[in-house]
Amino acid sequence: MKKILAGVDIGNSSTEVAIASVEGDHAEFLSQHLVKTTGIKGTIDNVKGIRRALQEAAKKAGIELKDIDLIRLNDAVPVIGDLAMDLISETIITESSMIGHNPDTPGGAGLGVGVTILINELFEVEEKDQDYIAVIPKSFDYEWVAQRLNQAESKGISITGAIVQKDDGVLIHNRLNKKIPIVDEVALIEKVPLLKLAAVEVALPGHVIRTLSNPYGLSTVFQLDPDQTIQIALVAKALVGNRSAVVIRTPQGEVVERKIEAGRIILIGTNNQQLEVSINDGAEAIMNTYEKLEMLDTLADVRGETGTNVGGMFNGLRHDLAELTGQLSNEITISDFLAVDAVIPTSISGAMAGELSMESGVALASMVKTDKVPVQRVASLLEKEIGIAVEVGGVEAEMAICGALTTPGTRKPIVILDMGGGSTDAAMMNKAGKITSSHLAGAGDMVTMLINSELALGDKELAEKIKKYPLGKVLSLFHMQLEDGTMLFSETPFPPYTFGKVVIREEQDLTPLSSKVSMEKIREIRRSAKRRVFVTNALRALKRVIPTGNLKHLSFVAMVGGSALDFEIPQMLTEELGKYGIVAGFANIRGTEGPRNAVATGLVLSSVRIGHEVLK
Amino acid sequence: MTTSSFSIEMKLTEIGTAVKGTNPREVIVAVAPAFGKEMNKTIMRINHASVLREILSGIEEQGAVPRVIRSLRTADLAFMAHGAAKMSGSGISIGLQSRGTAVIHQRDLDPLTNLELFPQSPLITLEMYRAIGRNAAMYALGESPNPVPVVNDEMARPKYQAAAALLYLKECQSLVPDQKPVELKAEFLIKD
Repeated sequence: MKKILAGVDIGNSSTEVAIASVEGDHAEFLSQHLVKTTGIKGTIDNVKGIRRALQEAAKKAGIELKDIDLIRLNDAVPVIGDLAMDLISETIITESSMIGHNPDTPGGAGLGVGVTILINELFEVEEKDQDYIAVIPKSFDYEWVAQRLNQAESKGISITGAIVQKDDGVLIHNRLNKKIPIVDEVALIEKVPLLKLAAVEVALPGHVIRTLSNPYGLSTVFQLDPDQTIQIALVAKALVGNRSAVVIRTPQGEVVERKIEAGRIILIGTNNQQLEVSINDGAEAIMNTYEKLEMLDTLADVRGETGTNVGGMFNGLRHDLAELTGQLSNEITISDFLAVDAVIPTSISGAMAGELSMESGVALASMVKTDKVPVQRVASLLEKEIGIAVEVGGVEAEMAICGALTTPGTRKPIVILDMGGGSTDAAMMNKAGKITSSHLAGAGDMVTMLINSELALGDKELAEKIKKYPLGKVLSLFHMQLEDGTMLFSETPFPPYTFGKVVIREEQDLTPLSSKVSMEKIREIRRSAKRRVFVTNALRALKRVIPTGNLKHLSFVAMVGGSALDFEIPQMLTEELGKYGIVAGFANIRGTEGPRNAVATGLVLSSVRIGHEVLK
Repeated sequence: MTTSSFSIEMKLTEIGTAVKGTNPREVIVAVAPAFGKEMNKTIMRINHASVLREILSGIEEQGAVPRVIRSLRTADLAFMAHGAAKMSGSGISIGLQSRGTAVIHQRDLDPLTNLELFPQSPLITLEMYRAIGRNAAMYALGESPNPVPVVNDEMARPKYQAAAALLYLKECQSLVPDQKPVELKAEFLIKD
C-alpha cells in the first residue's frame, strides 16, 4: 500500500518540507521546498508558511495537496535566542584640540606650524616674524582666499598651513605661489581656537602622516616636557593612519579615551556557584569565566549587574524572550550565551569634522529554555486547516542525524553540527544509536548583527546580503574585480548604478554599496564576524557532545543547516577542525540536497524506520 | 570678501572643433548651444557663470582635469552628454543645459541611460553643481562616489514645466545643424 508522507521542519528562519512516497519500508522522495518561517518558531503563525511550502512541494511533485496522507512535524527544541550589543569605550576630544578626519582631497603636503588666525584678519597681525595658520570659514571663496594668501606672502607674513571649512583644499593649493599643507572639510570650523599654536600636516596621496601621529613628533613641534608628552600621547594615537591632521595646543586640550563602566555579568550555577566577570574585560575573559563555571557546575542563569549597561542588556533580552514565550520575565532563565568582541565606528564627542573612532563593544547572544513550545497547537491548527492528518515527530536532533545519515559515505557513529540562524546545535549518535545533543546561542543572525554594526550600515537586510554573497568592484561597465583579485569580464554591460562601486554579487543581481569602505575591508569584517561566531560556537558545541570532552577523540563531523550552505563558513570550519584531526564537511542529504532538508528528510524516514537506505 | 558680496563674470572663447581627448583624468563638460551666450541664467536665474564655475571647481578639487565643449547640433541633454563622454579621455562627461538640467554620463552606456541624472532643474543649487563636478571627477578617477542626493518636488513640474519648455525652445534656436561640438576656453573674473 503506497502512502504519501510529508516531513515539515520549522526552523528559526526557514521552514523546510520533504515529500516522499512510502511503500512498505521503502521511501521514494518526490520533492522538497523551502520558505521563510512565518512568525516565531513554534507558534501558530507558522501554519501560513507551512501551507505555502507544502503547496509548492506538492506542485513540484506533480500531486495535489490532498493526496498527502500524513504530515510529520518536528518537535521544535524549546530554545529561543536573542541578541544585544553595547559599547564599552568612548573617545572624547576636549577644547577642540585635534582634527583627525580624512578628507578626500586635502591640499598640498608637508607640515606647517603656526598660530591660528582668521583669513580676514590676516593683514592686521602685529608680529611679523611669527608663523601663522590660516583658518578659512565657508563664506570665503577659494579664489579670493588664494589671492589673499599670495598677497600676505608678498608682504612678508609667513603662513605655513590652512584649515578650510569647504571642500576647497586642492583649489586653493593650485592657486598659491608658496605651497602649504591645507586640511579641508572641517565642518565645525567655528570651534577652532584662534591665536593658539597649531600644527597642520598633510601626507602625499597613498601615504599617512608621520609627525603628528608620533608622540615625540608632537613633543618636538610643541616643545613639550615629558609630563605634557604623556598627556598628549593619546592625540598621537588617535591620528595614526590618517592622511591629514591638525593639532592645536590649548591649555587643557587632550583626547580622552574613556571606558564606559558597562558592569559585570553574574553567572549562576545550579549548585549556587556564582562567578562574576566585568564586561570591560572583553569577550575572551567572559567566555573563559563561563568555561570555568562549566567545569564546576552547570549554568542555571545569567544576570547583569543592576543599574549598569549589561544589566540593561540582559533585562532587555529577558523582556523580549518573555514576550515571545508568554512567560513572566522573572521566570526566564538563560541557558546559554555567547559573547563576541566587536569594533563599532562611533562619532567622537567634541569632534570638529565628524571624526569617527573605532570603539570596542561586546555583542551577546543568549538562549533560554522555555516551557515546551506549543508545537501541538500548530499541528492541530494545520490539521484543521488542510484536512490532512498531522503528527508531531521525534526530537529535532534525532531527526537531523537520521537525515544526515542519508549522506553518501556516512555511518554511525556520527556527529552533526547544525548551524542555523538563531542557534548552533551539535548532536552525536554513537554506535548503539544513543543520541546526545547541545544547543548553543549565536549563529547566522549574530553574524548579521556584527556586520551591520561594524560597517555602521543601519540596514539589517543589506548586512544579511553582505553575509551571504561575495563582493566585487565594478571597474568599468564590462569588467569587475572579484574579492580574490581576479577579473571578471562580462558580455553584457553591468547596470549603470553599479559603475565604480563595490557590489554584492547575488546570483542574479548586483547590489551596490554606498559606503566608502573598501572591498578588502568589508570582506575582512565579514570573514572575521563569521569566524568569531561560528568557529567559537562549533568548538563549544562539539566539546559538549563528546563524552570525553576532548575534540581529538572525534573523527567525522557533518555540517547541516542554512549556514552550512554559506560560501565560506564550511571551509573555515573544515580548516579549523582539521587542526584537531577531524574530517569535517557539509552533509549531502539524500545525495542531492546538500546541507538542507536534513530534519524534514529525517522525519519521513524515521516513520518508516529504514535507516539510510533510500530509494532514489 | 565673502561669496555673497561679489559677482562672477565668465568669458567663453571658442578655440576650434573639439577633438577626442587622451588624458585619462579628463572630464568633459558639454554645455548646450545657447549656454552663456544667448542665454545666461538658469530657470532659477542663477548665473551660468556661477553654475559652470562650481562644476569646474568640483572637478578640479578632486584632482581631475576639466574640459568644456559646446554642443551645437543637439540641445538634447542625453545626446550632448553621451557625445561628450565618447570624446572624453576618461569616458566621463557632464551634460549641462542652459535651463540648468544636468547629467553625468559614461561612454559605454546607452545614450538614454546615465550614471546620475538631475532632471528637475529648478531644484539644483550651486552646492549640488559642485557635487556633480566632484562625483564626475571621482568616476573618472575610478573611485566610488555616493550619488549626489537628488531632491524631488512634485510641485516643480506644474510650476515650471511651461517655463522649462520655453527655455528649451529658446535654446534650440541656437542649434547649428550638422555642426561638430566646439572646444571652449572658460575664464572667470571675480568682481566686487
